[in-house]
This record gives sequence, structure tokens and C-alpha cells, in this order.
Amino acid sequence: MTSTTAEVAALSDDDLPVPMWRQRLKIFMGNKLAIASCVYVIFITLACFLVPHLHPTNQTNQAIAFSTPQSQPPSGAHWLGTDSSGFDVLGRIFFGGEYSLTLGFLAGFITIVVGTLYGMISGFLGGVVDTAMMRLIDAFLSIPYLFLLISLITVFGRSTVFLIGIIGLTGWWGNARIIRGDALLIRNLDYANASTSMGANKWHVIRRHVFPNSISNIVTVATFSVADAILFLSALGFLGLGIQSPETDWGTMLQSGTEQIQNGFWWEVFPVAVVFILVVVAINYIGDALRDAFEVRLIER
Amino acid sequence: MFSYILRRLVQSFVVLLIVIVMTFSLPYFQPHGILAPAFAVLGARSTPLNVHVWAVQHGLTQSYFVRLYKYIDQLLLHFNLGHSYKQSLSVRSIIALYVPRTIWLALSSLIFTVIIAIPLGIFQASRRNTVVDYAATGTAFLLYAMPAFLLCMLAIDAFGFHWPRFPISPPSGVAPWAIFTDPKAFILPVGCLTLLSVAGLSRFMRGTVLEVMVQDYVRTARAKGCGSRRVLWRHAFRNALGPIVTILGLSIPALFGGALIVEDVFNYAGLGVQTINAAITFDVPTVLGITVLVSIFTLLGNLMADVALGLIDPRIRIEGAR
Repeated sequence: MTSTTAEVAALSDDDLPVPMWRQRLKIFMGNKLAIASCVYVIFITLACFLVPHLHPTNQTNQAIAFSTPQSQPPSGAHWLGTDSSGFDVLGRIFFGGEYSLTLGFLAGFITIVVGTLYGMISGFLGGVVDTAMMRLIDAFLSIPYLFLLISLITVFGRSTVFLIGIIGLTGWWGNARIIRGDALLIRNLDYANASTSMGANKWHVIRRHVFPNSISNIVTVATFSVADAILFLSALGFLGLGIQSPETDWGTMLQSGTEQIQNGFWWEVFPVAVVFILVVVAINYIGDALRDAFEVRLIER
Repeated sequence: MFSYILRRLVQSFVVLLIVIVMTFSLPYFQPHGILAPAFAVLGARSTPLNVHVWAVQHGLTQSYFVRLYKYIDQLLLHFNLGHSYKQSLSVRSIIALYVPRTIWLALSSLIFTVIIAIPLGIFQASRRNTVVDYAATGTAFLLYAMPAFLLCMLAIDAFGFHWPRFPISPPSGVAPWAIFTDPKAFILPVGCLTLLSVAGLSRFMRGTVLEVMVQDYVRTARAKGCGSRRVLWRHAFRNALGPIVTILGLSIPALFGGALIVEDVFNYAGLGVQTINAAITFDVPTVLGITVLVSIFTLLGNLMADVALGLIDPRIRIEGAR
């Protein structure tokens, strides 16, 4: 007993096992591009939520906008010019971003919560229940997503809350399938079996073993879900099925901007396009970096 | 092999039934009930009497189960998807009119995608972490993040106006073969759709080949003296083929989604444009009918991918038969 204590005391800090999460954080922090992506996403998110309040520009009053010169190139008064309705483009990027990001993050969050629950339950229960639940997912997945979104919008209308709900409650099918694969794998591993053999019930095994051990995949999948939600929302905005004027989101802005591009009004398209594409690229890249950080095989021992 | 195919066929049929029941039931969840489209369709003429007449005409007064039975029966035996609320046509004839155009668009870009993405992915994997690989990965990332419509719009702007090389709108005759009168007009729509799918597929192909390259049998092949070209094509490529075929099958819904956007931008009269118009005018049977149809295409695509997978990989064929 004493010798073990002495051995432990003799260990320096370097010999102590580094907690898993810290190793992962180190890998993630080592990825400079991922850090840059995080900084960018946080910066844009803060800007979208703060700028419209700190430096308000008229974005909703069409009467005032109508009396402003329309489609003006960038100037001192309007740093990125005005759009075809007379709204200030720079202010509108942040104003529209508030909608795009809120919808994207909320819808992404819903998809990951529902997908995780469904996948865990399906993978863990197994047998007939699993087969039935997965056939249902097969059915969902075989309806092309954009067509499904359009059908749902035709039927339910398109208020902001509905848009979040529709994307959130339909985007989780792929996630559920990934999480279910994880759950299926983990519940057959030794530690899960040991827990069951010691009398743990299914709920305990899910909560204490399956969920914590698939958290890495859940986080990664969640990141991609947010990016996809933002992209699908923009597609709906483009098709004219998104947020209604004078409110706007990036997709709707891109749509009205691209109508002007042939007149050479580049400021109505490219600034918002760059901000938008970089947000999606950054979120996807963060997802990739997280996946690398969580990949156990890559962790040096 | 036969029992494997049969089993997949039965599975697909079950999935198809679920899809049909789901799409059929959707209008019942409308906030204003199943008669909601009546007000949009009849407009100012929507008196209670007119709404009732309209409902009787479209068989909406029958009970849910009677309608469901009739819908499935008509769909499966006669491919009859009901009548459009807005156009004086059956949904089947609308589909028959526009489906060849969409198939042509989707199929040709699928073929180009396979021709470009698979060699590109292998090439990237064999030159991993070189400038070429980084450039291709970066481009794919950017294309993946770019909304489809933006890419199309930029292509129109660049090749239609600033550097006018290609016609930007395909011929819009009603006859199915009218679209072939101006083949050059296809370059932009097909090109955009291809680029969009290449972005995802080449990235996947690169990852799969990289994963295969670290397997033991590749090392063995190297150890016994295989040239790197032979290792790449005979060992790595053949083993990466399975996941690729699966992902191609699974990518069909995205392909139709992309086709919808491309059709809308280029004003290419196909199923996608019909869907959007129907959605805007609350033409529920048309939207749902086209959705069921593209789902059937997806299921067929998945089925073909599974059969191809069985042909490629004997393990699946044997295990699937059990």
C-alpha cells in the first residue's frame, strides 16, 4: 500500500493521464483554421444580433425606404449601398442574418435532440421495434427533402415559427440513423454488457454508457445539421417560400439581389453571398475539425 | 442473389406504402382542415355552397379511410394521382408532360457526376496533402456551402451576359422532344447540377479511398510488390466501389432537389417548376403527386444501388439471402 502511494507521489504531472476531453480540446485548438472558423461564426452571430440594435437602419418601413434612392452604389451614408427597395444593404445583411442564424441554430438544435432520442431508442431496443422505426426512417428519407419541405409549406403555411418547426421536425432522419448505428455498436460493447449483467436497466445503460460514449458523434452531426438548416432555409427563401417581405433572411436577400446582378449592382449580391457562404463553410469546417478531434485513433498515446 | 433482390423489393414496397399514406394524410393536418385549399382555389367565389360543390367534385366529402383506399388503389393499379385543383388536368397528365425533361436533366448530370467525381476523388487520395488536393478540397467545400441557386445565377451572369457563350434558357416547347432542339442550352443547367453533386461525391470518394488505403490487404499488396497504380485501381478502387454505389443511391433525393432549384433558375419547364407553381397556388394534389413520384424514383434508385452492391460484393449477396 505504501509503495503504491510513493509511486503515485513520484509521478510528475507529465505522467498523469490527461483527461480525454483535454486531449481532444488540444487537437481541436491545434487546428488553426477551425479556431478561425469559430471566431468568424461567433463574430457574425454577435454582429447579427447586436448591430441592428446598436446602429439601427431602417429595414422594415417600406414607405421610408421608398423615399430613399434605390440601388445606389456604396457611399458614405450607405457603406454597401442600397438595394432595389431602398434598404441599406449592410444593415440588411445583419438584419437578415438574425433570421437565418436563429432559424438555423434552432432548427439544427431540434433536429439533433429529436434525432438523438429516436436513434438511441431504436438502436437500443433493437429487434422488431428497431426494424419498424428504421423502415419509417427509410420512408422519410426516400422523399426528396426539398419536395417534402415544399409540400409541408403548401399545407401548413410559412410563418417563422412554422419554418423552424418544419425544418427542425423533418431534418433529423439522417441524424437518427447515424446515432442509432452508434447506439447499436455501444450497447454490444463489454462495458455496456457488464453494466447490464450487474442489473442495470436499459434506461440506466442508455443514460450512463450509450449516450456519453456517442456524444462525440452527436456534437459533430449537430454542427452539420445547423449548416444544412441554414442552407435549406436559404433555398426556400430563394423559391419565394421563405420569410415574407419586409422581413428577410440571407436566402431571400440573395434572391432579390441576383435579380439585379445583370444591371451590375454587385453590392446587392456579393457581400451577403460572401458572408453567407463563409458562415456555412466555417460551420462545416468546425464539424470536420470536431470529428478529427473526437477520432480516437488519431489521439497520440 | 434472387432472394436478396426479392427481400429488398418487398422492403421497398413497404416503404412506398408508408410514403403514400404519409403524403396522403398530410392535408388532413392543415390548420384549416382538408377544405383549406378551396378558399385559395375558389378565391372570391368561395361561398359555403361553392366550397361544398368543390369538395364533392374532388371527393373530399368521403371518409379518410375510404379516400385512402381509393388513393392507393388508383395509384398502384392505374397510376392515377387525382385531379389538379388549379389546372384542368389530371396530375398524371401533368407528370407525363414534364417528367421526361426532369429525368433527362437529372440523369445526364448524374452520369457526368460519376465520370468526374470518382476519378477526381481517387486522384486526390493518391496525391493526398499536395497543393492539388488542397485546391480541390477547398473548391468542393465552397461549392458544397454555396446555395445551388447562387451558383446557377453566377453561371448565368458569367456565361450568359459577361462572356456570352451559351444560351441561358432551354427551349420551352410542350412536346417532350422539343427540348432537344437546342442542345447547347443544356450546357449551363446540366453543368451547374453536375458541379453541385461533384462537390459532395468527390469528397466522399477521397475519404473512402483514403480509408481503404490503410487496410491490411493494401499493405499486403504493396508488400508483395504491386505497383502503386495497380494497388490503387485493383485493390483500393474496387473496395471503395461499394460505399460509392450506396452513396450514389442515397444521393438521388438531393439530385432531384438540386434539379428543382436548377429548373427554377433556368426556367426549365420540368417537374420542379410545376411543384413550385403548385405550391404557390395551393394545388395540393399536384404537389403531393409529384412528391410521391420522386419518392418512387428514389426507391428505385436505392433498389438498383442495392442490386449493384450485391453484384459487386459477394458478402452482401450471401448474407442478404439468409
